[in-house]
Amino acid sequence: MSDLPVLLPSAANLLNDAGRQRREGAFRVDLKLWHGVVLVAALAVVLGVAEAAGNAKESPWAVLVNWMPFILWGQEGHWQGFSLNIIISFFAMLIGTVVGAALGLMQVSLLLPVRTGSWIVTQFFRNSPWLVLLFTIMLMLPFEIQIGDTIIPIPDWVKAVIGFSLPVMANISEVVRGAVISLPSGQWESAESLAFTRFQTMWMIILPQCVKRMIPPWMNWYAILAMATPLCSIMGVEESVTFTQQAMSAEGGRPELLAPFYVFLLVIFFIYIYPIARWTVRLERKYSVKI
Amino acid sequence: MIKKLLTVVSTIALALTFGIQAASAGDNDRLMKVLNRGKIVIGVKADYKPWGFRDTSGKLVGMEIDMAQDVADALGVKLELVPVQSSNRMQFVQQGKIDMMIATMSDKADRRKVVGIIDPNYYTSGTNVLASKKAGLKKWEDLRGKPVCGKQGAFYNKPVSQRYGAKIVAFVGNAEAKQALKDGRCVAWVYDDSSIMADLASGDWDGYEMPMMTEDDTPWGLAVPLEERDKLFGRFMAGMIYEWHQSGRLMELEKKWGIQPTAYLKQMNERLKAYSPN
Amino acid sequence: MEAFYEWFQQLYDSTGWNFVFMYDEYERDRLLEAMWVTIKLSLSCLVFSLVVGVIGAWAQGAKSAILRNFIYWYIQAFRNTPPLVQILFFYFVIGNLFPTYDAGGYQEQYIGAFGWAVVSLSFFAGAFNVEIFRAGVEAVPTATVEAAQSLGYSRLKAYLYIVLPLAFRVSLPALNNNLVNLVKTTTLAYIIAVPEMMYTANQMWSDNVNVSEMMIVLFFFYVGLVAILVYFMHRWERSMRIPGYGA
Repeated sequence: MSDLPVLLPSAANLLNDAGRQRREGAFRVDLKLWHGVVLVAALAVVLGVAEAAGNAKESPWAVLVNWMPFILWGQEGHWQGFSLNIIISFFAMLIGTVVGAALGLMQVSLLLPVRTGSWIVTQFFRNSPWLVLLFTIMLMLPFEIQIGDTIIPIPDWVKAVIGFSLPVMANISEVVRGAVISLPSGQWESAESLAFTRFQTMWMIILPQCVKRMIPPWMNWYAILAMATPLCSIMGVEESVTFTQQAMSAEGGRPELLAPFYVFLLVIFFIYIYPIARWTVRLERKYSVKI
Repeated sequence: MIKKLLTVVSTIALALTFGIQAASAGDNDRLMKVLNRGKIVIGVKADYKPWGFRDTSGKLVGMEIDMAQDVADALGVKLELVPVQSSNRMQFVQQGKIDMMIATMSDKADRRKVVGIIDPNYYTSGTNVLASKKAGLKKWEDLRGKPVCGKQGAFYNKPVSQRYGAKIVAFVGNAEAKQALKDGRCVAWVYDDSSIMADLASGDWDGYEMPMMTEDDTPWGLAVPLEERDKLFGRFMAGMIYEWHQSGRLMELEKKWGIQPTAYLKQMNERLKAYSPN
Repeated sequence: MEAFYEWFQQLYDSTGWNFVFMYDEYERDRLLEAMWVTIKLSLSCLVFSLVVGVIGAWAQGAKSAILRNFIYWYIQAFRNTPPLVQILFFYFVIGNLFPTYDAGGYQEQYIGAFGWAVVSLSFFAGAFNVEIFRAGVEAVPTATVEAAQSLGYSRLKAYLYIVLPLAFRVSLPALNNNLVNLVKTTTLAYIIAVPEMMYTANQMWSDNVNVSEMMIVLFFFYVGLVAILVYFMHRWERSMRIPGYGA
């Protein structure tokens, strides 16, 4: 703490955080164990309230337990429900990472058209609301394509994967770009003096150093993506929120079931995302670069 | 090296663009496809009890599912059910994702331009509201300027708001809309009368009533692809519907699923009953 | 003007591109109102979340431990639950606890869906703002605050005239990020039937079967709105820059 009238360390922290948020595109998902405890307690509370309020034809708890397998993994022999949420998030992250990394590297290219083009693409997909992107992809893509003689069906969840991978790709592109430009220019200069081509510099020197810096924000984006997958329920993709709504209407649309079913969803999402969020924080601390 | 890569990639891209075409349609294409494949894909609702909804194992059940099974049995093919929503059911038929749909769709003139709706209609229902007895609503005009809860995407939201000046407050699901009604955020819930009657009969809604004259008694239509409506597929489905009315199958299904018996089905059954020489 | 609208009718008849809100007055009114509601929603949430942030940041430094704890729990709750669920919770649960008045057959809430959306989203963004403003307030050098006190400023006046302006400039970059996210999050108000752009576009394409056209309109609207916001945000940051601070 300085005696002088200079801005205190929290100013620098705030600037770093803001810069990091702008580079990576979002706040860190910061879940703690007691959040989960509170959610489970909330579930118990709403079940109790529903019990009291309802017609007691069938206890809300029994109803919830009946529908749990359906909401979690759907019908026999299908990957639906919550398992589909996980599958969608996995594939969307995969595509988003690969394409996003390529886009990010294009953003630091020496060629102006490549740089500008990839910048436009990145900014466009970063600033569009996810819901609108999802709607567009799901309604515009055909449900099957014919290449030569074979017909390849494109199921709804694949369209959802593509729809989610677009904003993820744009944000990963920003992460990669941020990581690349955060390296000291000395690295580039020494590589040049050792006669590395640009490609060799990128592949052998810059990217290996960047990978560590990119992992925490990358995992953060996975957590955000996993939390965003319920958006595709609006298009009828057979994941957990769709199934919850169908279960509620099969139960006659009883309003007292609203709270228990939705809090249950919160609980299962928490159980999935909490370990990822904790691991992100641990990795960030482990890989924080001390100059 | 990069140049080489670029040429390879661009050639592949070019090849793909020429190769990819959406599936094309022709005469009786869809029906032929169904028969060759040995499987018919029918779109049904998954969240509209009791026409199409899920049981706890996740299986789709309901009146329209039974009708779909009848169709598959008549054709001698396997049945595959695809859950659809109001917002995508017509598109799915157009695109070919489903071969036909039986999905509580109201028969409207502009919809007939998009999909092949078959005559005769298999059901009718009208628009009505569920309102608290205390609200004392008697006619549709009483809704002017008042908030009315509804479901997003329902076709009667617009006419009710245009004709009677009601302020439609549309929610994603019926559970949310009904909760809002119970909380008193709206004076009534607009939906079709058969659902409302089912809710009133269930006993959860004492103190509520269905006060208005059912409006816009709109027949429901099932649909095949537009280009096959006047060909084999359309004619076959017309025959199926005729048979359902005539044999009383629809009335039987109505009873099975606890739907209030409608005058329309009774009338159609009377009118079309087979001649028996006694 | 009429000719302009007529052209779109012809476009529909000839090509099938149905920009129905151009030639149909009912739809046009609906869409314009939706745009206005979205802008109103975004602005209200922006302003109220700033107010929540300022008050919360001040409360975090308060003497009362109860107040400090309360703010801590508030931030934890709102940062770690999905905003969608928060909106539903405010509308259905908190809304029922509020007084109503009899408006002829139904209970009219004093706060309608729009109001609850504003409240919920403001508290959501406000939770992040509290953290940001707190860091900003902490960044103000103690020597400056002491100098203010020695000049006879009361605690409140020192906060308002000395600390807050400086803290605000420090927090501006982080704050702006938050505000842009807030504008994008307003699409969630669609779940409680607030007639903003997403909800209205959905209604319109259900009624008129013109999904792709409404999609295009939605895209242009949101990307445009965010672009305008980001542009003004950058200009504001540049004009509020503290010399010597920042990269």
